[in-house]
Amino acid sequence: MLDVKDLEVSYGAIRALHGISFTVEEGEIVTLIGGNGAGKSTTLRTISGLLRPTRGRLLFRGQDLAGMPPHRIVAVGISQVPEGRRVFPLMTVLENLELGAYQRRDRTGINADLEGVFTKFPRLAERKNQLAGTLSGGEQQMLAMGRALMARPQLMLMDEPSMGLAPMLVKAIFETIVEINRQGTTILLVEQNARMALSIANRGYVLETGEVALAGPAKELASNPEVRRAYLGE
Amino acid sequence: MIFELIVQQLVNGLTLGSTYALIALGYTMVYGIITLINFAHGEIYMVGAFVGLYLVTAMQWNLLAAMAGAMAFCMVMGIVIERVAYRPLRRSTRLSALISAIGVSIFLYSLMLLIRGAQPTRFPKIFPDRMLSLGVAEISLLQLFILAVSALLMIGLHYLVQKTRVGKAMRATSQDYDTAALMGIDVNQIISYTFAIGSSLAAAGGVLVGMYFNAVFPLMGYQAGLKAFAAAVLGGIGSIPGAMLGGVLLGVLEMLGVAIGLSSYRNAIAFTILILVLLIRPTGLMGRQIQRKV
Repeated sequence: MLDVKDLEVSYGAIRALHGISFTVEEGEIVTLIGGNGAGKSTTLRTISGLLRPTRGRLLFRGQDLAGMPPHRIVAVGISQVPEGRRVFPLMTVLENLELGAYQRRDRTGINADLEGVFTKFPRLAERKNQLAGTLSGGEQQMLAMGRALMARPQLMLMDEPSMGLAPMLVKAIFETIVEINRQGTTILLVEQNARMALSIANRGYVLETGEVALAGPAKELASNPEVRRAYLGE
Repeated sequence: MIFELIVQQLVNGLTLGSTYALIALGYTMVYGIITLINFAHGEIYMVGAFVGLYLVTAMQWNLLAAMAGAMAFCMVMGIVIERVAYRPLRRSTRLSALISAIGVSIFLYSLMLLIRGAQPTRFPKIFPDRMLSLGVAEISLLQLFILAVSALLMIGLHYLVQKTRVGKAMRATSQDYDTAALMGIDVNQIISYTFAIGSSLAAAGGVLVGMYFNAVFPLMGYQAGLKAFAAAVLGGIGSIPGAMLGGVLLGVLEMLGVAIGLSSYRNAIAFTILILVLLIRPTGLMGRQIQRKV
């Protein structure tokens, strides 16, 4: 579904990604794990079109996304749950969700998906007329996920959904990710919480300073001694 | 007697202030979305006044049609200015764009000086001089027209920004540029719309003020622009209701200053307020707190 080849991205003179390659197959949960500055967020921001690659290809169902503006990338079926949630703080929960469906014109489909999001996250339904900036961190994470779902994506990019959340909430968020995946959305998940990420993913890639250091099925990575030492704190 | 004078100046101040508000909206909307003080905005207002004047005199259009024509003309002009002078500098420092804006401002008034000369042109009288009595004060038909048009435009803007798809996209873009793009919003298109709307409001303001002071001239945008900027800062730069409130408040304060005998200092009033706001409350009356993203 997504085929990333030799992707190279620079911030000015500093190269953040040194030619990484990975794939995501239809229906999978794939996770990119690694420490701070490994290039995980940069990878997602490049797929979304916020950053332009200096080299390499980003094939989504055979179409090269490199150099496409972000709004076109949403149109081909990729949406993102950004790092730090990034809800629109001065807009209501409902307005945030409607913005997720900005590209869509099918009113009935949008309303049905809105109902779907409210069923998945009843808290958002209770607070739909509240300003998003007044929500708790967990609720904002739900809103960011609901908002990304409103685009009815084929591939959903998730950047650090567990960041800053209590362990109980992290568990709930990851259960929801599995549920979203089961309902047919492919997921590319970036996480510092490698243990949680590997527990729900099919496959994983370990990034180190802008390169793929290790790759394999999530179960194998989780039992790899090096991964256990470096990322699982053992 | 004093009371009547004050009420009368309140009426005058509301009229003047509503035109400041129309211009201030353009500053605040553009700032809200790309954090640029569009120093050419006053000149867009000036060009709007000239286009309105031209349509009324040379083309014999009726006033409302001429105003709509001036708004349409400046809409296009606003979009072109953004494309040519600001968009290429989007990724460079803010100072570059600011200097570019000042350049556009100088270019536009110099161009008009070349075409029309510095002498003010009178606006043909459209409204009879009749005054309507409000009991203690009076209001002219022209003042009533200015208030009505300004109010209608601001209500229209409020509806657009709060309720329509484009308005929501504008608010989203001003709150978080990158995330707005991730929603599928074409942010460049939204920036163009913002310039179009702000510029058309300035054009309407230009026609109204041209009639009110019965003078249209190439340098009229300089002072009006600075005052409207002061109004936008007073209300809280980036805030649309703030610009409306700041404009009206500034007009009223200015005319009350005149009422208590400060008429030779009336321009100083606006800038004293600007300085005080920047010293005491830089976010203005309705500005949001400056958020630092981590």
